[in-house]
Amino acid sequence: MITGSEMKALLNRFPKFEDSCIGLEYAPRLPKGIVGETKELIAYARKFNDEVIRPRVLVLDRETFEDPGYLPHDIMKTASDWGFYTMWVPRLFGGRGKNLPSLTYTIEEISAACAGIANVIGVHFLGVTSLMTSFNMKLTAKILKETVEGEKKGEPCLISFGLTEPMAGTDVEEMDLVDRGKVVTHAKRVDGGYLVNGRKVFISMGHMSEWTAFYAYTDMKKPSKSMIGLAVRKGTKGFSLGRHEDKMGQRVCPASEIIFEDCFIPDEDVMIDSYSMKKFTKKSADAIMMRHIDYLASATKAGVCAISVGVARGALEDAIKYASETTVAGRLLINHEWAQCILAEMYKNVILGRLAYTEANNANAHRGTYEMLQVKPAYYYLKYMPDAYFRMIAPMLEKPFSTWAMSKMYLDRKPDKDVFLTSGMSSLAKFAGSDFGIRNCQLALEIMGQEGLRHDRGMEKRLRDCKVLQIYEGSNQMNRVALFKNLIAPSYPQARVWGESAREVL
Amino acid sequence: MTSPLRDELKAFETLAENFALKELSPRREESDRYPFGPFPDDILEKAYEVGFLGITLPEELGGIGQGISALCNVLERICRADASLGAVIFTNTLSQEIIMRAGGSDILGRILSSPADAKGFLIAFPSYSNPAEHSGLPAAKKGANGYALSGKVDYAVLGNLASHALVPARTSGLDGYSLFLISLNDPRVRKSEPVFSLGVHACPACDLVLSNAEATLIGGEDRGKDPYEDASDFMNAAAAAMSLGVMRGSFDYALAYCNEREQGGWPIVNWSEIKMILSSMAVQVEVAGMAVSEACCAIENKVSNGKTLARAAALFVQDAACLLTTDGIQVLGGYGYMKDYGQEKRFRDAKQLQALLGLSPLRKLRFMDQINAKA
Repeated sequence: MITGSEMKALLNRFPKFEDSCIGLEYAPRLPKGIVGETKELIAYARKFNDEVIRPRVLVLDRETFEDPGYLPHDIMKTASDWGFYTMWVPRLFGGRGKNLPSLTYTIEEISAACAGIANVIGVHFLGVTSLMTSFNMKLTAKILKETVEGEKKGEPCLISFGLTEPMAGTDVEEMDLVDRGKVVTHAKRVDGGYLVNGRKVFISMGHMSEWTAFYAYTDMKKPSKSMIGLAVRKGTKGFSLGRHEDKMGQRVCPASEIIFEDCFIPDEDVMIDSYSMKKFTKKSADAIMMRHIDYLASATKAGVCAISVGVARGALEDAIKYASETTVAGRLLINHEWAQCILAEMYKNVILGRLAYTEANNANAHRGTYEMLQVKPAYYYLKYMPDAYFRMIAPMLEKPFSTWAMSKMYLDRKPDKDVFLTSGMSSLAKFAGSDFGIRNCQLALEIMGQEGLRHDRGMEKRLRDCKVLQIYEGSNQMNRVALFKNLIAPSYPQARVWGESAREVL
Repeated sequence: MTSPLRDELKAFETLAENFALKELSPRREESDRYPFGPFPDDILEKAYEVGFLGITLPEELGGIGQGISALCNVLERICRADASLGAVIFTNTLSQEIIMRAGGSDILGRILSSPADAKGFLIAFPSYSNPAEHSGLPAAKKGANGYALSGKVDYAVLGNLASHALVPARTSGLDGYSLFLISLNDPRVRKSEPVFSLGVHACPACDLVLSNAEATLIGGEDRGKDPYEDASDFMNAAAAAMSLGVMRGSFDYALAYCNEREQGGWPIVNWSEIKMILSSMAVQVEVAGMAVSEACCAIENKVSNGKTLARAAALFVQDAACLLTTDGIQVLGGYGYMKDYGQEKRFRDAKQLQALLGLSPLRKLRFMDQINAKA
């Protein structure tokens, strides 16, 4: 029929088979244990929804309007009691070590009840992931140990992540743009650490977190070449929390302003620093930092898609319930053909959205961030070795060897094409999912008419909660450009992105 | 259109524009806090003083006797700044128009002749639903001293502000519905707290429970449908004008922001993807504007397809407003999501306004039926 070499050539043509049928390509590599683990977590999340969220979600949301200063201490404590803040922390660091893709399914489930509470839980793993992808295992181990101990003591120790600045949103996410932007968070090298001045905005759960990981720049004229990642503990001198925003939705989860005024960060809390990475890798400073952003965003954008799918599903469930109980123009709404077709459209959006984050997970699991944890031997090894074993090898993480090994694997040996795939697929999931979410909320409200507008029915809240999903983790416009940059442009040498404002004429 | 009429329209435009600028814009976020903050009573009073609560009401009934064009011009300009007052004007005008069409002008004259304040001039109505589609209307019973209503009225807009409400109810044994006027000071009318809703917070609704509430029949028994549908045709143009106002407000703000905000070293209006979004918003605003003014002209000049145009305009502009206001937030990024900037409110308001006059999918189906019936 066709020769082996011919087949290879044809399948390697754009779009490459292994890049566009990721689930199929890598299906045989999936450790079976992941399936059972994921099912258990979905069931656990459903129980959490029934017992914790649904009975009080609307009361809580109302409370945030009555008291704009509301902060979710209560919900955070409950989520901690349920074990969510260590659920996806690897056992190596003392956590419960559930497989990372299962986080997305769990978050979808919780978002179907409340996207805001899903973020109260989920955004902690943005912070956790920023540490785990930083090559700095010593600091990661130090902070995650506090998270694990905090959970045991009933004093949650959360980690948030600070990227966005008042004048720089898209700019801080792209090394190609940041030098043209107006960044303000400056880190000055001083004896034994850095002195930080500046401001970050819209930091989810900033007010609630014990630690905040963030980026700063040592040279404000060349931010792309001088970006570093630092971690700051709440209460550190010179670090303060500003206001938290009065948002349209996800009101239970604060978006905080954080302020640095001559805040000293000691060397031991430097998360990632391209200067000290030089002894491990030949990659340039901006390439190292762009990899960090890419690894981090590839994981978290799949998470935003999962929140979106949860909202889309919640909207579908609300619409079905309403349509099956309400008589309109003499007939149950669910028996109007037009309504059936809207419900079918909404169902489709949920499934397609879930497929989008599943493919992003597949890319991360087999070509990206989770690769090390997802190959079968590693997965089962990490799942079944006794805790005592991990306690024994944990000190290894503090040696430079661990940073060396991580940087070999994730910087030097990891080809650009894999990073393109994971970044592109996660951007795809992010904007596809959040567009589906908004679409489903709009459709549900059209079916429900005036009933949908009432806060006490819960549906209007979903629309309010959903809108920010098209914005955070990069606006959907920015993510479309990122998809182009990562999945299309590499096959077309003449393609340039973010070039319109550059001086060069293309 | 004759030129004196145009001059008069211009005067209303200016009046509404100034009102929006002076009274509404500076306090938009504060008013939107309702029911968790105070209701802007003074704004309502001022709107009443300048005649906004009776734009199409004949002068002899205490209104200013204008037509649909004046109503739409005012509503559009008000809604650019704050759609809540627009929705107050809309609901009150809808009540007046239904009552007049049902032959209740005398009753209207009586209750509006000497109101103590703006609230005395308001007539509540469930303006987000078409009574014909509703299976749970209250029941009306005829007694020796007139009618008594019992049952629930969901989402009576202005219910906790107005002195009276216009209530569609079923008269036992008859298929259709009848229209009744009730006093909201009647102890047999129980009002819920204001229903906290998606949008137009300062145009509140409440649920009413009626227990043998004294009611005055407006028009004939079982004859509610014709005056309602006729008034609804007319008010579709007004609904379209409101959504148009929200669109313009959202676009104007988005454009100004995109000229200010810089990313990648220049104002984001220069990035071609943002420009594309803004351009599409601008096109939608222009086309929606044409739809509204065409519908107004047709109604004003009593062109035979005026009703069709008004309904088409409402369906088109309301959908367009939901899409456009989504982008109106989007181009502001995170700031668009915050209550400080007005764009998130416009997004909520647009979706709320789309639900006026009944389920929008059913309004679409009925629109087709009307066209088919004519053919």
